[in-house]
Amino acid sequence: MAKFRLDRYKPLVALGVFLAAWWIATPLVKSFLKISFTEFQAPSWVAVSHLDDLASFWARRSHSKVELIEAGKELEREKARYQIMAQRYDTLEEEISRLETMLEMPGRREFRHEIARVVRREQNAWWGRIIVRKGRNYGIRKGSAVVFSGGVVGRVRTVHAFTAEVDLVTSPDFRIAAQFEGDPRPIIYRGVLQKGFGKPSGEVQDVPQDLLASSSQPLKLVTTSLGGTFPAGLTIGNVDWLEPGSTGIFQSGSVRLDPRLVHLREVAILVPLEAGSPNHVF
Amino acid sequence: MYFDPRSLLFFGANALLLQLMLLLGSALSPWSVFPVLLGPMIIFPALYMRHSGYFFCTLCTGFWVDAALPVSFGLLTSVFLAIGAVTFFLRKRFRAEENHHPALLAHTANLIILIVLALNFAVGANSLFDFWIQTMLCAGLSHLLLLAIAPWFFNLQRLLIEMFHLDNKPEDLPLL
Repeated sequence: MAKFRLDRYKPLVALGVFLAAWWIATPLVKSFLKISFTEFQAPSWVAVSHLDDLASFWARRSHSKVELIEAGKELEREKARYQIMAQRYDTLEEEISRLETMLEMPGRREFRHEIARVVRREQNAWWGRIIVRKGRNYGIRKGSAVVFSGGVVGRVRTVHAFTAEVDLVTSPDFRIAAQFEGDPRPIIYRGVLQKGFGKPSGEVQDVPQDLLASSSQPLKLVTTSLGGTFPAGLTIGNVDWLEPGSTGIFQSGSVRLDPRLVHLREVAILVPLEAGSPNHVF
Repeated sequence: MYFDPRSLLFFGANALLLQLMLLLGSALSPWSVFPVLLGPMIIFPALYMRHSGYFFCTLCTGFWVDAALPVSFGLLTSVFLAIGAVTFFLRKRFRAEENHHPALLAHTANLIILIVLALNFAVGANSLFDFWIQTMLCAGLSHLLLLAIAPWFFNLQRLLIEMFHLDNKPEDLPLL
């Protein structure tokens, strides 16, 4: 009779023991392991991002002086324009504050914006997220809104010591209250599965029947302050077409998002300010 | 307790492969495709080392990958250990000195990982048809890339073993 060797089954036994131990292990142990491994590998991503910045720096150094002078002139003009806009902004802000005081309106939620570099982008059939190079070290909080010049980017999902994970507006897990520009009625926006080689898109639901959209006259979808995460009026995208929803009471449609979303290099994270803080953006 | 330094070396190589995979995924994100190149990570530890070394390396690799991807922590570790256990159990049948068997195993392991990932996310998908089309696109791309990457990765691991003057023979020689 052939000798029965128990040691042959060692890998299967070890697998069984691991699965049992993992099943019994408390969430505290799992959480500790997850945080440890995540924080341990974060510096490698930050280093890659800094190397990328360095490569961009050296690439820019190859530009001629004439090109740099032209770019400087252009920046000077932009700066002058933004300085005028900032003055106008301050005047309007004072006017709003005066009217709010007169009307005894409740205070608005204020945010400071933290500019963060995108370290990694992931957009696929399973998830959509970006990793940014700022975390708890810059006071980033879970659930904070993330925006860019084209509008909404997403929402902070997890904050680590030096990095943060942001759920993209295209992610199927992303869902916010929204409204069409000029129409105060709230509707629901949610991310959808992105088609390969397609443009970024989302979906609106619970749109009232009286609204019409067409490719020649698209409806602009903006945020509301209802959820408390996003300030009102930030662009989400445009809706070219609405059709009756599954219930027949409301309409639904596809949202065309800003194509720059998939090439983001820098984003602004809106960190809610405590009452009385002087530095705010919105 | 016997500690095999090759487990650290294999783990380092796996971390490098994951980094490259995620960099590639980041570059391909505008087209909504994501390459999954995790299969080769499990093969050499299971074919080359004793059980303690293999288990340590695969466990650390699994946790490392789980921490980097937005899946429930422990899912890929369990899958890695399951695939590794079967590979380890049958390792006398494979030749680790050449790339044919490891590459075939890497493709099989990668396919299993892809299926597990897809099933994990299929539960929350709102359009299953689109979801599976996209998943198949990712799978096709991943395996095309793996045709080139798996042999390169195995050669890299062998080169590292040579460079650090470690034992370059598998623990169990194959049955001939």
